[in-house]
Amino acid sequence: MRTLTPRRIQETLFTAPSFLWLLVLFLVPTLMVVSMSFRTADPYGGIGDSFSLEGFKDIFSPSFPGILFRTVNLSFQTTLWCLALGLPVAYFIARAEKKHQAHLMLLIIIPFWTNFLIRVYAWKIILHPEGMLKDMLVALRLVSEDTSLLYNQGAVLLVLVYTYLPFAVLPLYAAIEKFDFTLIEASRDLGAGPLRSFFRVFLPGISQGIVSAVMVVFIPALGSYVIPDMVGGTDGEMLGNKIAQRVFVDRNLPRGSALSTLLVLAVVLPVIGGLVVKKIRSNGRAFADVPSIGEHGL
Amino acid sequence: MKRICFFMCTVMCAVAVCTGCGNDVQELYVYNWSDYINEDLVVQFEEEHNCRVVMDYYDSNETMFAKLKAGAAGYDLVFPSGYMVQIMARENLLETLDHEKIPNIKNIDSAYVAFSLDLQSKYSVPYMISNTGIGYLADKVDQPFTPSWRIFGDARFAGRMTMLNDMREAIGAALKTLGYSLNTLNPVELAQARDLLVQWKKNLAKFEADQYKNGLVSEEFFIVQGYSGDLYQTMEENSDIEYAIPVEGTSLACDNIVMLKSSEHKDLAYAFMNFLLDGEVAAANMEYVYYLAPNTAAYPFLSDDLKAEEPILMSPSIIANCEVIQDLGEGNALYSEIWDQVKAAR
Repeated sequence: MRTLTPRRIQETLFTAPSFLWLLVLFLVPTLMVVSMSFRTADPYGGIGDSFSLEGFKDIFSPSFPGILFRTVNLSFQTTLWCLALGLPVAYFIARAEKKHQAHLMLLIIIPFWTNFLIRVYAWKIILHPEGMLKDMLVALRLVSEDTSLLYNQGAVLLVLVYTYLPFAVLPLYAAIEKFDFTLIEASRDLGAGPLRSFFRVFLPGISQGIVSAVMVVFIPALGSYVIPDMVGGTDGEMLGNKIAQRVFVDRNLPRGSALSTLLVLAVVLPVIGGLVVKKIRSNGRAFADVPSIGEHGL
Repeated sequence: MKRICFFMCTVMCAVAVCTGCGNDVQELYVYNWSDYINEDLVVQFEEEHNCRVVMDYYDSNETMFAKLKAGAAGYDLVFPSGYMVQIMARENLLETLDHEKIPNIKNIDSAYVAFSLDLQSKYSVPYMISNTGIGYLADKVDQPFTPSWRIFGDARFAGRMTMLNDMREAIGAALKTLGYSLNTLNPVELAQARDLLVQWKKNLAKFEADQYKNGLVSEEFFIVQGYSGDLYQTMEENSDIEYAIPVEGTSLACDNIVMLKSSEHKDLAYAFMNFLLDGEVAAANMEYVYYLAPNTAAYPFLSDDLKAEEPILMSPSIIANCEVIQDLGEGNALYSEIWDQVKAAR
C-alpha cells in the first residue's frame, strides 16, 4: 500500500489545476464526441437514444480512403516543409548575436498579431489570377495564362506551410539555443565529416525540439478546415471539411463525431505508443549500471 | 498592484455604464442573414419605437437551427427559409402568430404565398423571395449570352467558374438541366445528375457559397452560380456583372419572418414584423437587398430601374419554370450520398 507522504500531497495539489483543466476542457468533451458517434441520428439534427454503428459508415465508403490519404499526405508534407524551412531559420536565429536574437524572434512572432483569416485572405490576393505574381510568372513564361495559382492542392500546401512555420521555428529555436556546439567541434576533431556531425551529433542533440515541432505542426494540420475551404479547389477536401459538411449540411452529428473520433485516435494513439515505448526503454535501462557510449551520440 | 486595481476598476465602471444605459430602452434581438435588410430602415424603426435593434447574422439555415437547438436564447425574430420554418415548427420553436397584431399582413401578395410552404401564415410571414441563377462578367462571355446551366460544361472557362457549395442547389441545377424536378427522390435521375455535375466539376475553380461575390467583383471568377439579390448587390461594385435565370429553370426560395416561442419582447417583435410588411418600407428594403418582397402595397413605390429587372420581379413565365427546394426529411440522405460522390470524383 502506498502512503500519502507530505511530498505526494504537495505534488497532487500542484498538479490538480492542470489535471482539472485537462479533464474539463479536453477529456470530457472528447468523450462526449466519442459517445455521440455511437448514437443514431434523426433527419432534423437531433440525436436518438439507441446505440448504432451507423455513424462509422463513412469509413467504409469508397470515397473515404481518398480523403484520408489527402489529409495525411498534406499534413505530412506540411510537416516536412516546416522542418526543412524551420531548421535553417531557427539555426540562424540561435547562432545570431544575443542582442539580435530578440529582434529576429519578434519577426517570427509579428504575423501572429494579424488575424489568421486576414493572412489567408492576403494569400488569396497574392495568388489572384489577375494579380501581380501571376502576371510576373506569365511574363517570365513560367506558367501559362490559364494556370490557376489558387484552388488547388499546391495552394493548400503553401498556405498550410506558411501558417504553421512559426509554430515549428519556436521549439526548434529553443532546442538549438540550448545545444552545446562544442560537441560538433569534438566530433569534427574525432574525424567526423560535416554531414556526419550534422546527422549523428546535431540532429540527435536537438531531437526533442524536432519532436515538438512535428507535433505542433502535424496534429493541427490534420484537422485543417479553413485553409482547404478558402484556397483549396474541388479536389482539396480534407477530413475537417467532411466533418463540417456532416454537421452543418447533413445535420448528422453522429457521423461528424465518428470522423472526429477517428481524428482524435489518429493523434492520440501514436502519442500513447510513444509513451509506452519510452516507458519500456527506461525500465530496461534501470538494469544497466553503466550507460553505453552510444547514448552520447558518438 | 495599484495600477492593476485602478485598471480593473475602470473596466468595471465602463461595463456598468454600458450595460446600464440600455435599461430604459427595450431591445429587440434579430437573427438574420447578412446584407439582408436595409440598415436605414432599422434606424427608422428604432427611432419610431424608441428601442434598440440588435442584429446577429448566420450564413446558413442549418447553422442558425443548430445554434437555436443547442439552447441559444434571447433572439426574438429569425428569418429562415420555407423548409426550415417547417422544421422549426415541428421542433416547437415557433410562436403561433396573432394576425391581429400584424395589420399589414393584408399586403402580402397572394400570388407568392404558395412559395412560403406555410400557407396560412400560422408561424411565418413571407419576407423575401430569391432565385438562384448565373452571375457573369458580360465582356468575358459570348454575346448575346444565353443563360444555361450547361455553361459550366464549357472548358473555355475552366478554373474561372464556381457553383454553390450547397448540395441541393448544385445537384438541383444538374437535375433541372436534365429536365427533372429538383426535389426528386428517383435514384436513376439523381445518378444522371451526379454524372453531369462531375463533368461540370472539372471546369470549376471550387464549390463556393459565399466568396463567389468577391471573386466575381475582382474578376477572379467569370461565371458563378449564386443568389439573385447577392449578385445584384455586387453590380454596385463592378458594373460589368450581369445576372440571368437559366432557361432550364432554377430554384426559388422564400425566406420568412418567424417569432421564437422563447422571445421575451413579443410586442416589439410584432411591431417590427408589421413595420417590415409596410408597403413603403418593403419597397425601400427591396431597393437595398434586390430581392422580391411579395408585398402588393410595395410595388407602387418601386423605382423604374428595379421594375425593369425581370430576374428580381420574376414574371409568371419565369416562375412556371422554377421550384421551391423542399426539405426531404429522410430523403436528404440520398442527396448527401450523391454530394459525397461528386466531391470525391476526380
